[in-house]
Amino acid sequence: MLFSRVRGLPVLAPGGADHLGTVRALTVDAASRTVTHVRVRRGRLRGEIVLALGAVEAAGPDGLIVRPPDGGPSATPHHDLLGSRVLTECGEERGTVLDAAFDPADGRIEAVLTTFGEVPGDRLLGLGDHALVVRSRRAHHL
Amino acid sequence: MNELMAVRGLTTLPVVTLGGDVVAHVKDTVFDASATRITGFTLTGRTLLSGPVPQDLPWPAVHCLGHHAVMVRGREALVDVPLSVARRDALRGRLLGAQVVTDAGDTVGTVLDVLVEGGTSGRLVAFRLAAHRDLVHGSRHRRHRVYVPRGEALSASGRTLVVPAHATAYVTDDLPGFTARAGARHDRGRGVLP
Repeated sequence: MLFSRVRGLPVLAPGGADHLGTVRALTVDAASRTVTHVRVRRGRLRGEIVLALGAVEAAGPDGLIVRPPDGGPSATPHHDLLGSRVLTECGEERGTVLDAAFDPADGRIEAVLTTFGEVPGDRLLGLGDHALVVRSRRAHHL
Repeated sequence: MNELMAVRGLTTLPVVTLGGDVVAHVKDTVFDASATRITGFTLTGRTLLSGPVPQDLPWPAVHCLGHHAVMVRGREALVDVPLSVARRDALRGRLLGAQVVTDAGDTVGTVLDVLVEGGTSGRLVAFRLAAHRDLVHGSRHRRHRVYVPRGEALSASGRTLVVPAHATAYVTDDLPGFTARAGARHDRGRGVLP
């Protein structure tokens, strides 16, 4: 499933009765190469809630079915993967992130699509406030 | 990766952890006393007005030196040092502006920039000089910028660098040509440069 397709999808409670909001972003832990949280925008004045990926019961092109949040707001640091700068571990810039594909079942990131081409998920090293760092395959290629 | 990089271009490069966070920016590049390799970097804070920080980045803690960032494993790579010590080291290890003479006593020029190998090497390869008028032919009204290989027999005394006289035979004013020549010599396995 693509990050760009998930963004903006409606988030519903089981049974489809309760509309919790829309998906604003996905929080990524680049070190473990997984999507860890879903950030749901509830409305213009109602802020957003952060749901662990484990709370998502089903994901499809029409929306996400999630268990209602039970705890307070999560303090997980968030950096947007989409649009972030890509840097190899050798300090060379390799464009920006256009999109990413992940498995909604376990959150594993399968590939990241950048302006320089596709990077397999197993080459991600970290995502911080400056860039997404990827492992170099060769000196001059992604 | 052994691409050549100009040291003046390293100033303001971000120091980035493998986790993708910026921890500082490069202020000065410090060389060892014999001008062989980089020994470390002095740093400034993350923002334009944050000024120098009392931390150094020693070269062994550098994961890789690239054209767009100095990569380190983590925040613990930075070493706390008093600002006075950092300034003193930076002044001692600064090569820009140093005089270069040959062992025959001829003036070669003044160091404008230093070329180093990137990646994990950090070795000093060549100097970019404002050439003395005796070194290059042509108009005396034109300022000449030339590249001179560091050579194996360079010695440094204070702010003066002494290169072997034959090193000036490899003087060139175009960087791609210089890089190709340096690479060719390296590939032949006879050392990088004379």
